[in-house]
Amino acid sequence: MSDLTRQIVAIARPGLTWAVHFVAIYALISASCAARAMIGHPTLVIAGGAVTVVAVAACLWSVFAPPAGGSTDLRRAAVWGGLVFALACVANASALFLFQGCGG
Amino acid sequence: MSVTETPTAYSGARKGEDKSFEGVWDTPTGLRKLSSVSHRVVGRRFIYTGFVFFLIAGVLALMVRTQLIVPGNTFLDLETYNQVFTMHGTLMMFLFAIPILEGFAVYLIPLMLGARDLIFPRLGQFGYYCYLFGGIIVLSSFLFDAAPDGGWFMYVPLSTKAHTPGLSADFWLIGITFAEIASVTAAVELITAILCARAPGMSLTKMPVFAWYILITAFMIAIGFPPLIIGSILLEAERLLALPFFDPMLGGDPLLWQHLFWLFGHPEVYIIFLPAAGMVATMLPTFVGKPLFGYGFAVAAVVTMGFISFGLWAHHMFATGLPILSLSLFSAASSMVAVPTAIQIFCFIATLASGRPRLTVPMLFILGFLSIFVIGGLTGVMLASVPFNWQAHDSYFVVAHLHYVLIGGMVFPLIGAFYYWAPHFTGRMMSERLGRWVFGLMFVGFNATFLLMHLTGLRGMPRRVATYAEGLGWDRLNMLSSIGSYILAAGIALFVFDFFRSRRHGPKAPRNPWGAGTLEWLYPPVAPGFNFHAIPPVESREPLWDQPELLEREAHEVDGVMHGIRDGRRETLGCDPVSGAPLYVLRLPHPTWIPMLAAAGLAILFGATLASAYWVCAVGGVIALAAFTLWAWEPSDSGVTRDAGMGHELPVNVVDKRAHMHVALVGTMLVLMALFASLIFGLLYLWNIRPDAAETVTRPGLVAAAVAVVAGIAVAVFGQFTRRTAVSDRNLGAMALSLLTAAAAVASAGALGLSLMPVDPWASALGATLWATGGFTGIVLFVLLYWALFNAARRLTRRTGPGQSMPDFNLATFAKGSGLMVVVAGAFFIAGAMGGVG
Repeated sequence: MSDLTRQIVAIARPGLTWAVHFVAIYALISASCAARAMIGHPTLVIAGGAVTVVAVAACLWSVFAPPAGGSTDLRRAAVWGGLVFALACVANASALFLFQGCGG
Repeated sequence: MSVTETPTAYSGARKGEDKSFEGVWDTPTGLRKLSSVSHRVVGRRFIYTGFVFFLIAGVLALMVRTQLIVPGNTFLDLETYNQVFTMHGTLMMFLFAIPILEGFAVYLIPLMLGARDLIFPRLGQFGYYCYLFGGIIVLSSFLFDAAPDGGWFMYVPLSTKAHTPGLSADFWLIGITFAEIASVTAAVELITAILCARAPGMSLTKMPVFAWYILITAFMIAIGFPPLIIGSILLEAERLLALPFFDPMLGGDPLLWQHLFWLFGHPEVYIIFLPAAGMVATMLPTFVGKPLFGYGFAVAAVVTMGFISFGLWAHHMFATGLPILSLSLFSAASSMVAVPTAIQIFCFIATLASGRPRLTVPMLFILGFLSIFVIGGLTGVMLASVPFNWQAHDSYFVVAHLHYVLIGGMVFPLIGAFYYWAPHFTGRMMSERLGRWVFGLMFVGFNATFLLMHLTGLRGMPRRVATYAEGLGWDRLNMLSSIGSYILAAGIALFVFDFFRSRRHGPKAPRNPWGAGTLEWLYPPVAPGFNFHAIPPVESREPLWDQPELLEREAHEVDGVMHGIRDGRRETLGCDPVSGAPLYVLRLPHPTWIPMLAAAGLAILFGATLASAYWVCAVGGVIALAAFTLWAWEPSDSGVTRDAGMGHELPVNVVDKRAHMHVALVGTMLVLMALFASLIFGLLYLWNIRPDAAETVTRPGLVAAAVAVVAGIAVAVFGQFTRRTAVSDRNLGAMALSLLTAAAAVASAGALGLSLMPVDPWASALGATLWATGGFTGIVLFVLLYWALFNAARRLTRRTGPGQSMPDFNLATFAKGSGLMVVVAGAFFIAGAMGGVG
């Protein structure tokens, strides 16, 4: 894999991680708060917390270990993209920890 | 200046061996111009048609404002008012904003990237005619006194047969779905063009920033449009066939429509904004005289916005009773999207600060964009907050916000772009003096209209009311907003006048009139039928600034690869998607009527559905299928190599994963997967929120579903073996394996159908959605079957020579995608059969 390809992957990875994380949090909330009520709030918080830790780590990978070589601009894009997506993952999950249940 | 090389042994289509370079690229004249596939012609058609829809929608907006100018007005009756504001929103969002921006992208991208045309010119022509015919269907509703009146979002249950019994909703659903084909085809075309056809040396890091914006936008269209397409098909099926997808009495849910609509609707705002921001990012450095500040930041911002914009859709549904946790999730994402947006705006401001901006007319519109869009963004952050959203919901505050974002974020850059790129369309410059008047009128008129609407909304005036009582505190604000709208309209009218005036009386544009750095200004802006005699190697993002030799010579004398023509064919350079290194000679089609015929066939199919003339639908479908077959039947171009100049001996239309055909197929699979995922979302949603109704659904057949899963795997395996065999030029083996792939597709479809037989689609929404999922998978399998048989037929009739295995190569990718859909659908059916659907 060339330096440039590695940089493209480093730019795309946090975005894809955020997307998977968003879907996971949405699915967990839906599993807990819709009529079927498949999981309880504690499970929601634990599972949500776990996927958030993994997701933030994956996003920060691009921040703390950007691919060496290639273009400075794309390295900057990978670092800043990773940072914004890491924040966005934390924001996605924040409500799970701020509220006591589906009703707030 | 023309160069023609002596054709050598070549099995591909013969087109123009007796012609010069200019002759091969010539645009047909007279009526035959309709058969042109040139990106310049198709792009301009998108732009002009989109602008006509903009003017029509603008007149409708003026009718709305005239109705609201005084309380208790009777200028429009209630029904007409509903039709007028519905059509205003529909035309603006679906038939103006996205198509006109795609038109600019279709026109500019090849010129900026150093390509002679878009990679799929016929697809461009096909998309344009779908757009035109779809738009005509929607507009023709006025002629039948059946204009849609349910809002541009067509919410259910209002738009169901029970509440809208006429054809108005059908006009909307069928016309818009048809027109959306153009958006999706343009998305696939642009993704492929940007990744596969760039000048030598133009790696992704040296690509003009506009191409990044368009690339991300195109991916967003590919993923964002399918939910609405599926939603529209489900709603039309409910109206036409009484399938109860959204009927709460049978386990359906009106909110499912809202989810599907806004899954498209909110990314759409960014789909509209990003290309316009890309125009700003292109024009701004020209007038500042410095490259865009923070290219890396801008790329990060665009990518981030592209992703996060898909997590905002439910902020349009804050008042629908979603759980607080869900609201918080969407509120967080809605707030977070402000971060990359702000990064981008700071890049623009820092670019402005890095030099001495020339205050030309396009620059004025850029400044207008910055000031208006920032205000729209800030009110957007306010609306992302759930408590404020509940207060402002469905009020004129929201109307003000969305117009600040869309007019500020898109219309101002667009008008600036017209002034900037007008020489490309007319060969002449538009007036600086009139342009300043246009800007002044538009800026003042816009703010007078919409700034005040924030107050009107905060004072409690709801949206979409045809009139209001006197003395509520809204009278003067509405009066001033209406006067502002007339001033805004005067600005637009003056712009139109200036455009037409400049066609005859504007000063002739010199080469690179603005002193820009991007390649579209390499040639003098009197549009020829072609782009580059030779494609110059590129060393920077602003080649015209950093490579002075490009402007030192006449454009046709510039050195580069692909000088002249080979085999009398239109061609451009295919490149590696990442590095931009020359990879192959990419053969392009010549003018043809076939895409237009295919679009006409589909128009007949869609139009006849409105008239319930189903045998005519069948005729339209057959015409379209025949046209697609003719389209694909022509001889393959691959299997030979040619001298491309500058030391490059390149294969023609290489058979490789990096080939444009394969990249386009991956893009198409992305669209198909998004369509399929929308149906799966519907299944899970209905199953989750209505467990009571789900329990009443009959279980699908277990054995048949299991057989479908096995057959789905067989589809993928046979497809892959077909590729391997074809690539090694084993003709008989490839033909046999194509037939086996076809047989596995038939087995998959049959097994899925058998599994669904016990389920009554009319008895429950979940049952109907199971059938819709099976039906969609069946359609994909039909395409696979047709494709596999088509490849086998070509081999049987010896239309496929050595090294010409691209159709089989692509069939494998399509078979793997189709197989995956069968396996997922089968797994859902098995889950339903084993655990019971409830």
